[in-house]
Amino acid sequence: MKKQFSRRDFLKLAGTLPLGLAGQSLLKTLGVSPALQGKPKNVIVVVFDAFSAYDISIYGYERKTTPNIARLASRAIIYHNHYAGGNFTTPGTASLLTGVLPWTHRAINLNGTVLDSFAARNLFSAFPDYYRIAYTHNGIASTLLDQFSKYIDELIPKETFYLESYYDLFISNLFKKDGDISAVSWARNIQVDENGSAYSLYLSHFYEYLQEKKLENIKPLFPRGLPTYDLVHPFLLETAIDKIGKRLPDIPKPFLGYFHFMPPHSPYRTPKEFVNVFQGDNLKFIEKPVNILAKKITENLPEYRREYDEYILYCDKEFGKLYNYLESSGLLENTWLIPTSDHGEMFERRIVAHGSNVLYQHVIRTPLMIFEPGRKAGMDIDTRTSAIDILPTLTYLTGHTIPDWGEGVVLPPFATENPDPNRSLYTVQAIKNDQYSPLTQASIILVKEGYKLHYYFGYPQLSGEGYMRLFDIQSDPEETVDLYSLKKGTASELLYELKQKLVEVDKPYV
Amino acid sequence: MVFRDVSWIKERTNGWDAIGVISYALIFTFAESIIIFGVVTFLGFFTPGQWKVDKRITFLSLLFLLTSLWAIIAQLLFLWNISLPVFAIRFIAHSAHPLRILYAGVLVIVIPSILLPVILFMKSDKAVLFMKDLIERLTFLSMFYLFFDVVGGIIVIFRNLA
Repeated sequence: MKKQFSRRDFLKLAGTLPLGLAGQSLLKTLGVSPALQGKPKNVIVVVFDAFSAYDISIYGYERKTTPNIARLASRAIIYHNHYAGGNFTTPGTASLLTGVLPWTHRAINLNGTVLDSFAARNLFSAFPDYYRIAYTHNGIASTLLDQFSKYIDELIPKETFYLESYYDLFISNLFKKDGDISAVSWARNIQVDENGSAYSLYLSHFYEYLQEKKLENIKPLFPRGLPTYDLVHPFLLETAIDKIGKRLPDIPKPFLGYFHFMPPHSPYRTPKEFVNVFQGDNLKFIEKPVNILAKKITENLPEYRREYDEYILYCDKEFGKLYNYLESSGLLENTWLIPTSDHGEMFERRIVAHGSNVLYQHVIRTPLMIFEPGRKAGMDIDTRTSAIDILPTLTYLTGHTIPDWGEGVVLPPFATENPDPNRSLYTVQAIKNDQYSPLTQASIILVKEGYKLHYYFGYPQLSGEGYMRLFDIQSDPEETVDLYSLKKGTASELLYELKQKLVEVDKPYV
Repeated sequence: MVFRDVSWIKERTNGWDAIGVISYALIFTFAESIIIFGVVTFLGFFTPGQWKVDKRITFLSLLFLLTSLWAIIAQLLFLWNISLPVFAIRFIAHSAHPLRILYAGVLVIVIPSILLPVILFMKSDKAVLFMKDLIERLTFLSMFYLFFDVVGGIIVIFRNLA
């Protein structure tokens, strides 16, 4: 017989209501991870490569580059001062995945790997009880995922979502161990480039004919050319988004997904629907001085930036689609979704993209959003945060042990303690430095208490102690006024701290 | 061309990777040479039966050299950014059948450049002897090429085992 709900029962239940409402903040005060509330939550980290926060409308950019993200962000926690670990894929991704800075994990060279000691210390190894799935278009990020593959249950090969021909796949399988160099050489042999040349005199023309036939329906949709990795491997972002979006509901739960998509990394080849949408908007950019470390003088920066912004629209559209997949499958109710990037992109000081040695804001300030399961209202976090904070935060949120090797902190608003206002935040670039030697040629920035110190040393263009710049990024986020000689006290204090840190991190290699 | 890419690779990674790019290039072009050799050998079945082996090889080598020459010229035109004079482009563009004119122009230049040496080869024994001599010298040169192929092959194997 069905039991009647008595007046006493009602009063008992009513008495527990205030406790329930206070639960969230009480658990936080007690330092209890949200993971202990309900069943284990899934985690999806989505990385859009070379995605600068300075080109995203929710971070204040005038161009409406991210209408979908802006719409969805009203339910997310937005981090407004988030910094990458490095200024290109290898150090940036490695910092995100290991929770330590490049001078610690030492994936500092192009297409490099982390130290052997970090091969077992990464985001995937921190989730041993989860089903771990990963994919990237980017061969450089793929090198790192390969290194961590022992801890990944399903590592989708990068070629899976390329528009490759059978011959390309044959070559990449044949020379799997030397994938990048063999792929570059193969492409230069067989693919006729925009100058009409290839090493191969005969087969390149035959190959071109076959490729043209294969892609003839797709090419008109991309007037600037198909999106590619390394100018060699064409792909469509929607292929990866559709396949991953449909795959996720079927994999074992709980899961950890790491998906690192190539766009908006150059070449900026947006679909037809977004081509020239920002043309003629007369957006004016601040003129900045040419940088001493600029490798070559690049003109037409506003044009490059416009094409980059139009490419971002493509990412935004596809992110919206991925979000819809997760929402319609019900996964989102039980999943932490974290869109971010490995580094930014810059179009100033006569430098385009991210291939230079400089660490200005545009190339290292990246987006970070956390879509919390069940969250209906957005939240803005202005605290300065780093890519190395993502790993400890995710382990904390899912009830895993926060790794003791990590150098980051649990992000607000989840951290039990208030953020340290004196926190020193670093980004490191040392692409030409030997992996196992002290840093003798590097670019480092230190952000502290609203100031940002740039320190460049060991480059052939520089003499003496190096090249230093100081900016008050609180009042001058575009870094236009150098305060190095005006605020000598602050500058020397920060430089001293940075150099002390360098001594500390170099110790194992001296 | 490969040296241009080598400096690009070296700047981004290191000298060993740059050597890798050259080695793969040698292996891929060697594979292409084998395929072309197969095609040329197949064409050999269509040469007159009364020709001696030497004449057959020399004739096929001549055809191969001529097509290679045109393939190289085609690439150089792109690399050196050489295009038709403006008045010619304007004339073709304004004609009723620009593509047909373009193809016809190409055939007018290419066909004689192949037919003339072939006719000379058929008619003159001196031309045959000259060609034979040239092919022998080129064969000697290609020995160096084979040596570099072997070195490239070893480097590729080493890179894929290491």
